[in-house]
Amino acid sequence: MEEMMCYIPENLEEALAIMDEKDAIALAGGSDLMVSGANGTGVNPSFSRPVVIISNLPELKGIKKREDGWTEIGALSTSREIAESGLVHPLVRNAASLMGAVALRNSATIGGNIANASPKGDTPQPLILLDAEVTLKSVRGERRMKVDDFILGAKKTKLEKGEIITSVLIPPSSLTHCYYRKIGMRRANAISKLTISIGAEVRDGKVVDFRASSGAAGPKVIRSHEAESILIGKTLSELTEYKEEFLDAWNNAISPRAMPEYRRGTTRRMLSFFIDALSAGVQEGIIE
Amino acid sequence: MSYTKISDKIERVDARTKARGEAMYVCDMSLPDMLYAYMVRSTCPRGKILKIDVPNLPKGYKFITADDIPQKGNNELWMISKDWRAFAKDYVLYVGETIGLLVGPDRTVLKYLRDNIHIEYEMEEPAVTIDDGIASKGGPMFPEKGNNVFCSLYCEKGRPMEEVFAEADEIFEETLETGYQEHVHLETNGAIVTMEDGKFVFYASAQCPFYIRKSIAGILGISVDDIIIRQCTTGGAFGGKEHFPDVLCGPLLVAENVIRKPIKLIFDREEDTQFSVKRHPSKCVYKTALKDGKIIGMDAKVYYNVGAYLSSSFVVLQRGIFHANGVYNIPSTHLVGEGIGTNTFPTCAFRGFGAPQTIFAVETHMDHIAHHLGVDPLEFKKDYIIKQGEETVTNGHIIEEVKLPEMLDVITKESDYWRKAKEYTPGCGKGIGISMYLHGGAFTGNGEQAIIKAHARLVRTGDKVRIEVGSTEMGQGFQTSLRKIAANTLQLPIENIEYNNPDTSKVVDSGPTAASRSTMIVGKLVERAAEEMKRRWDEGDITTEVEYEHPEGYPWDQSTFRGDAYLGWGWGVACVEVEVDKLTNEVKTVGIWTSHDIGHAIDELIVHGQVNGGIIQSLGYASMEKLENKNGFFRQKRMSDYVIPTSMDFPRQFYHLQENPYPWGPQGAKGMGELVFNGADAAYVDAVERALGTTFNSIPIPPEDIEEALKKNAQ
Amino acid sequence: MLSEIKFTLNGKRIIYQGDPLRRLLDVIREDLGFTGTKEGCSEGECGACSVIKDGRLVTSCIIPIGACNGSDILTIEGIRDTEKGECIISAFAEGGAVQCGFCIPGMVMAAYYLLENNPNPSEEEIRMGISGNICRCTGYDLIVDSIALAAKKGEELWKK
Repeated sequence: MEEMMCYIPENLEEALAIMDEKDAIALAGGSDLMVSGANGTGVNPSFSRPVVIISNLPELKGIKKREDGWTEIGALSTSREIAESGLVHPLVRNAASLMGAVALRNSATIGGNIANASPKGDTPQPLILLDAEVTLKSVRGERRMKVDDFILGAKKTKLEKGEIITSVLIPPSSLTHCYYRKIGMRRANAISKLTISIGAEVRDGKVVDFRASSGAAGPKVIRSHEAESILIGKTLSELTEYKEEFLDAWNNAISPRAMPEYRRGTTRRMLSFFIDALSAGVQEGIIE
Repeated sequence: MSYTKISDKIERVDARTKARGEAMYVCDMSLPDMLYAYMVRSTCPRGKILKIDVPNLPKGYKFITADDIPQKGNNELWMISKDWRAFAKDYVLYVGETIGLLVGPDRTVLKYLRDNIHIEYEMEEPAVTIDDGIASKGGPMFPEKGNNVFCSLYCEKGRPMEEVFAEADEIFEETLETGYQEHVHLETNGAIVTMEDGKFVFYASAQCPFYIRKSIAGILGISVDDIIIRQCTTGGAFGGKEHFPDVLCGPLLVAENVIRKPIKLIFDREEDTQFSVKRHPSKCVYKTALKDGKIIGMDAKVYYNVGAYLSSSFVVLQRGIFHANGVYNIPSTHLVGEGIGTNTFPTCAFRGFGAPQTIFAVETHMDHIAHHLGVDPLEFKKDYIIKQGEETVTNGHIIEEVKLPEMLDVITKESDYWRKAKEYTPGCGKGIGISMYLHGGAFTGNGEQAIIKAHARLVRTGDKVRIEVGSTEMGQGFQTSLRKIAANTLQLPIENIEYNNPDTSKVVDSGPTAASRSTMIVGKLVERAAEEMKRRWDEGDITTEVEYEHPEGYPWDQSTFRGDAYLGWGWGVACVEVEVDKLTNEVKTVGIWTSHDIGHAIDELIVHGQVNGGIIQSLGYASMEKLENKNGFFRQKRMSDYVIPTSMDFPRQFYHLQENPYPWGPQGAKGMGELVFNGADAAYVDAVERALGTTFNSIPIPPEDIEEALKKNAQ
Repeated sequence: MLSEIKFTLNGKRIIYQGDPLRRLLDVIREDLGFTGTKEGCSEGECGACSVIKDGRLVTSCIIPIGACNGSDILTIEGIRDTEKGECIISAFAEGGAVQCGFCIPGMVMAAYYLLENNPNPSEEEIRMGISGNICRCTGYDLIVDSIALAAKKGEELWKK
């Protein structure tokens, strides 16, 4: 064989050094990369660039609450670990718990899910709603940015040469009402056709925060601050009056590509349902 | 000595070895010095092959093509006709057509070579859909006929249609369509070829070992006896391994003739999804003449998309027509079927074998007429249920007693159909639907006698008896059922009966494992052979062999398709209850109730599993299994985009069997494998239609298609 | 940097030297000859290749062997003769769970993982537990019943 194309570092430092030296791709859980690089039975997967297997790096594991109130999720945390963690926001737990099926949730990682930047990826959508950030490390140092800024489009991110996502940071949330739906190709073990997260913070009858994000409906997760601003600051009794304006603004943000009718119609109905529930004074918590 | 009786609850004979991971499927096998084969296929739906650029092949690698077929051989697979070529040469007719086999020791190298074979085509305009085919898009596939019609037939009964339609006070017409369906047997297609004592030996995942032998021998111009087919444990088939193994084994035979070393060809899932046979898409135009709210006549034009080669499609189409009035006795009917050629992967056998498409159409059509007349669909449909002695669409008669009324009683009671049907108003989000269906057992008419001429042989050694037939276990439980039949008759414990995966050199040809014929026909043959052996038990270690005999007095004319098409039908009722999420149009199935008349069950647990599986396949077909072909290419390529039901998609099924022993079957058994696929789809669509107060004219109906239908119907 | 991968398979120590990107499935089936683990879809979708890695059910077709250093891996061959494995296999045989059988070794692994973590699952939990294991033959009901039967029959076993 030619030059060694795959490396297994034993710690983060080694990993970053080799990532930089070889301009390599990091392989975390493998659930996306092993499929994209597959060559069939008995033929080893191959990639256009060297691969660094980071699956077992201890530095990238674990979920903890930081002193500043943010939740820090190690990039190698699996969907199962996230779904089971009481430290993680319910919207993200929900998304993680509905990703694939049991075995996939045992191997797919949150870092991989974000770096893969598939429009159909499950976890970026609620993360973007929550203004979560990623920590990126390389031999040159560390930087942080919002997941929404990190993902540029389908399979495109701001990941630079030699960089690894080391953690995901979720700010404390004061949302009082949340809604999550995943519409898959079937009821379980499914790739998403459409996902949505909606959150609102209602204080004394006033909507002080309103957010929505939708996945699998375009090249990247849709979030429209412009649309959100239509509802923010309104009282619950004013919501009905502004609902159509908000829905139209949201509608304009949806990609006109595959299944546009379905995605537009369904998104509109789900948003409308949530707003109506708020108007009707629904109890705090996850709305079902 | 205590012996195994039909009524005994026993363990399947293959359950433990399979669950322990000990069963050897062809992919698990390896032979010394084995080479691997990769298929090189057409990437052009229709056109001329201008040039094939093959990279320099390292030593030990070969690229096998039609040019390797010896002079005395013919480049054709003999399925039912001989049109399907082993290798495409000069021109291609569909994407995925076999052009060559790359053979060599290292799969990494083979993969590299395959990626570097470049084929130039002069592209022609392909016909893809049924409508394309009808319009002969891109020029007729059969220039001499000036069209793309591979095959056609008609059936009629009662008075002439013009007369009936002239009397009608209303004509209800609609077009109903069904899509492709992929088998998704969990084990993909595969075969290994090797030489043994100068004979070509195949290990194959296959339903019909004798079919393969017959189909491929002509490619080398050799005798079928020069070829031995050994069936390996087969990981599901559903029709997908009836004729299709020929498409693997034909080219492998040519390769083996040149290379003379073991060669293994296993499809990966993407190949199996894109480049294997499928269920026929259909388009059915039903016209029903109504007078005073009653049906006086029904006219149907049925089109099936055959793809580029005929394979078994004419027979599939015939079944479609023979089942096109469903379980109903329509006083006058005229049914026309056409198999339309297109530049797509040939369609072939799939559980139900042409019946599901027309049964879906007629059931849904009947439901729509009922809605139109403002009556409950079941109330409407039950008046037309055919009865014993009444005339079928082939001018034969229903020989057995039809127990559908009793079955409906069970199902409507268990499902609480009548209450729910009233309570769930159209569009309320909840719906209940019900369908009735049937399936003719075994080959049509006298086909068992005229075409198949099945044999079965039993060989006794001491207190052990070996069954020697070519019928195969592919998951349906036949190794257990057949042994049970023999054990019951011979009054032996089932452990004393041996029945292995067939080897064509060692067993007699009992016909294909298809057409829901194995238990009904081969089971009966084995029972007869066992009866004889039992009678002659005192003679010691003897062999008994019997041949199929058709009962007298049930004529069939295969040239006009008239007469008693089937001596025994399976009958079914399926009821499905759904709730539709009005926000997302996701359908949740909350109840499934079925009743089937399969004569008498040889093994109730096996039958239970068959029913469950068939029903879920049918519900998948109706709801989520979408396979689209764009420009000759399937859009869905793997299991993540062509999705089939998981354990979470459908609830537990209520299951009921209607006893109705069949006089010519072993212990009263009739066929059942296909029946259980034939009708749950229509019940599902009926339920969703009622839940939403809308109409669907095609399946599948995933949420996005429901959205579209709602929008369209609202306009 | 690791130059070789050490792991145990069904309790046996294995040292692997070769391309770390090789699929765990190919190592199990082809290099080590344990063919009970099946390949159904090659993309982590069908569950036929399910094995247990460090106590967790995974699909071995999407795990590179390079991610298995220090791992304990169990395949169907590693559990079939244990009391728990036998309990599930017997229940599958008794309950009519097996048809073509191709999905079944993976299904047994999923059932094993489920019962190890939830000795007394509800029907819903069983359905969830095998939702990544696609079966085309059975429609699942009898598999679900068989797993419930294994839970019941092996009641004491699963508490261990």
